Amino acid sequence: MPGHKHWERWLLVVLCVVIVLLPLLWTVLASFGVLVDNTVTPPLWSWPPTLASYAEINIEQTYFWQEFATTILLSAVITLLTTGIAFMAAYALARSRFCWRRIMVQGCLVLGSLPVFSFIFPLSDMLRVLRLHDTFVGMTLAECALFAPLAVYILHGYIKQVPTEWEESAYLDGAGLRQVLTRVVLPAVYPGLIATAVIIFTLSWNQYYLPTILTGIHIKVIPVMMRDFFALERDFDWRLAAGVLIISLLPVSLVVAAAHRVMERFIFVPLTENG
Amino acid sequence: MPLTHRQQLVLLIPFMAVVIPFLLCPAVLGFAASFTNYAPFQPAAPVFIGLHNYERVFGDESFITSIRNTAVFTFLTVSAELVIGVAVAYALRRSFRGRSLLRFVLLLPWLISPAASGVMWHQLLSSERGLLNFWPTLLRLPPVPYPLVNAPFAAVIAVEVWRKFPLVTFLALPGIESIPAVQWDMARLDGLSIVGRLRHVVLPRLRLLLLTIGLLLVGDALGISESVFFLTGGGPGVQTSTIGLYSYAKAIRASNWSFAAIPGWITVVVVLLLGAGYIYFTRPRDNAHART
Repeated sequence: MPGHKHWERWLLVVLCVVIVLLPLLWTVLASFGVLVDNTVTPPLWSWPPTLASYAEINIEQTYFWQEFATTILLSAVITLLTTGIAFMAAYALARSRFCWRRIMVQGCLVLGSLPVFSFIFPLSDMLRVLRLHDTFVGMTLAECALFAPLAVYILHGYIKQVPTEWEESAYLDGAGLRQVLTRVVLPAVYPGLIATAVIIFTLSWNQYYLPTILTGIHIKVIPVMMRDFFALERDFDWRLAAGVLIISLLPVSLVVAAAHRVMERFIFVPLTENG
Repeated sequence: MPLTHRQQLVLLIPFMAVVIPFLLCPAVLGFAASFTNYAPFQPAAPVFIGLHNYERVFGDESFITSIRNTAVFTFLTVSAELVIGVAVAYALRRSFRGRSLLRFVLLLPWLISPAASGVMWHQLLSSERGLLNFWPTLLRLPPVPYPLVNAPFAAVIAVEVWRKFPLVTFLALPGIESIPAVQWDMARLDGLSIVGRLRHVVLPRLRLLLLTIGLLLVGDALGISESVFFLTGGGPGVQTSTIGLYSYAKAIRASNWSFAAIPGWITVVVVLLLGAGYIYFTRPRDNAHART
């Protein structure tokens, strides 16, 4: 019986890995110019691999690396700001006896699941009036507002698990709110903070709809840039697009890999019924 | 020692200062402006025109198609993601070497942006150079019909499920792992099938987690646009158009503001209603202490 179970489980593990990784492998190969030709039997692979598509990206999209740097900077600022304000708000909610607390925390989850397109067009006009359209600041504020509710919800789950005794004894020792937050709460929930930051970075890096509407000339982010590769020719050069795709996947993969210890232990803690 | 009111306010102000003007206000403004002849870049003050915009939007057949597509898409993808995701997490519930690495691998599809996922699958599903048609050609079988033309809606659903079911497994795994082994033994003694075990052992334990993940997945599915945009462009015709794509096309191509804003605030209302349902279903119960 145990042997039989092992066999089944490994089959499933292999199946999962293949389903997840094979499409990515196909794309990596395409980015190196290794393409399959299904019109002949058996299918023929073009060989040898080259770095041509990576070299061509600059030629097709002159400002590719500037856009890449802008997107990294933008996502980093958004991540820091969102995690910061969400941490404060989540702490305030976790340590209050306010009777509407549950509704507020779960309300954050509801706000966090609002699709971008549902409020983006009025927001775009508002930003134009405020002269924040197509600016770094405008993008930062808009994405903070989009991601902060979800960040509050995740962080609230982490902060709730920290026993309050530590904070109480710190207060008794004469510490102020700021000291308690930075010296007691922050170290206790830092895995949660890192995990939240990784999630916000990923969501921000991958955001397409919001920058498409809120930016245009001055700010251009990588997912929006991808549209140029696609819209120019419908059956565009797949090798080139695959190269862009793999490069665009690198920052998030590196961030997640760097935080893999935290992400492996990441637990999404829903607000408990009695909590 | 709970925080004082002043401290709470100070801690909440930055959050409110961002979310109220940049998330809540636009949602309400979209609603208010839809009853006027407001349009961006117009110097004249907007005038109240009642339901005129609504008559036009609901008279548009492609809008109705987009609504129906989005509803069907949301229902099918979210159910598939939850069922497959939880079933895989269930199968992986016992610890083994390399499981945390596998959990990490399962996170990968979610790291790919919806836009990139659309671009990627547009190519992977192509007949000549794709992944799908590679296998029948290799095995000398007749080729698979091109899915983006013959079954575009199924292709859109499959791509989205590929991107998100591993995320569900990733999130559900710690929850399933925390179910004590005794419960599995009891379930086996009771002769429960896999479906029975999922229903009677897993679901009661993970009800809250699954409702929460479900709400996020539904919100995400209702907003589906860029992956479809790159995969099928909403076509052929409007066969795979969604509300998000519809709004985008109207706002960008036709500069028709109300056509873009009305689907938007309707979606806000739908999400808020679902959210109210979520808050109701997860309300505290008198026997809350019975849960461990």
